[in-house]
Amino acid sequence: MAVDLSMPVLVVDDYQTMIRIIRNLLTQLGFRNIDEAKDGRQALDKMRACKYGLVISDWNMEPMTGYELLQQVRASDQLKATPFIMVTAESKTENVIAAKKAGVNNYIVKPFNAETLKGKLKAVLGEF
Amino acid sequence: MAASEAAQKIRTAIDTLKSSGVRERPLVEVLGLSHQMADAMQAFFGSLDRSIISEFQYLADYIQKARNEIAGLRPNDIGSTRIPGASQELDAVVRDTERATETIMSEGEALVAMQPTNLESYKAEVDAAILRIFEACSFQDLTGQRIKKVITTLRHIEDRVSRFAGALGVQDGAATETAEEARDRELLLNGPAKDGPSTSQDDIDALFA
Repeated sequence: MAVDLSMPVLVVDDYQTMIRIIRNLLTQLGFRNIDEAKDGRQALDKMRACKYGLVISDWNMEPMTGYELLQQVRASDQLKATPFIMVTAESKTENVIAAKKAGVNNYIVKPFNAETLKGKLKAVLGEF
Repeated sequence: MAASEAAQKIRTAIDTLKSSGVRERPLVEVLGLSHQMADAMQAFFGSLDRSIISEFQYLADYIQKARNEIAGLRPNDIGSTRIPGASQELDAVVRDTERATETIMSEGEALVAMQPTNLESYKAEVDAAILRIFEACSFQDLTGQRIKKVITTLRHIEDRVSRFAGALGVQDGAATETAEEARDRELLLNGPAKDGPSTSQDDIDALFA
């Protein structure tokens, strides 16, 4: 099934530049409905108010980290089916394993390139 | 002479005087006993003075050494000049980096959004945008110099603190985890690895295959 490029995508990062980079890459790939949040708490509020087709989140944020956001999302009946990709500089194996156990769909380590992002989007959402 | 020995000698002298009655004793004998008491007290206070003087001398030497070491640290210079200076340099690095990033991103976004109608004007616009990107990249030279200054400051402080700790024989106390450190540990907030990712993207991909 083709990916719906008009679906809302939520990008969560406390660095505006990183949000801008991911937003530009997603736009290049054809996504048209991109929203943003500056930390896990704001993302969770937005997710409760709007159904997103994908969440791309950083790990290290305050007050709520991306890891905590992932745990909250997976614990919620309303949100647990949302595809979730972690994009982070946290590259220790313990981080990757913890995220996988918590239910992350894929994991990208920063710095990354457009090809890597595209590959993970395909792995999570399917061909587009 | 030990304190107990001196006290015993004085007590014996006083008892001797009391038991026989001072008025009934020949003056020479009273003087002899007084002399004996004075000798005992002198010996006692003499030994007391020497040990105290020795202790005070040691403390004075230690304090002087600590003062010299602290003066060598130039704490006022570190506190009033070096650390604020390093902080200002880092602020400038953040500011320069943000400004350059903003320029580069904006130029890139403008290039992507261009709707060329004429090849010649399109090329001129692309060339101009790329030139502005090159100019923006010059921030790296400045930030490199600023970061070198900060590194020099940190090394300066590190050297002096290590020398101070070594000179005074300071031992590390037991480490106490702060609330922030506990949060970092619990939430696996390790931050970026020093020399690139500690787990490669390929290895991560293998975990998700």
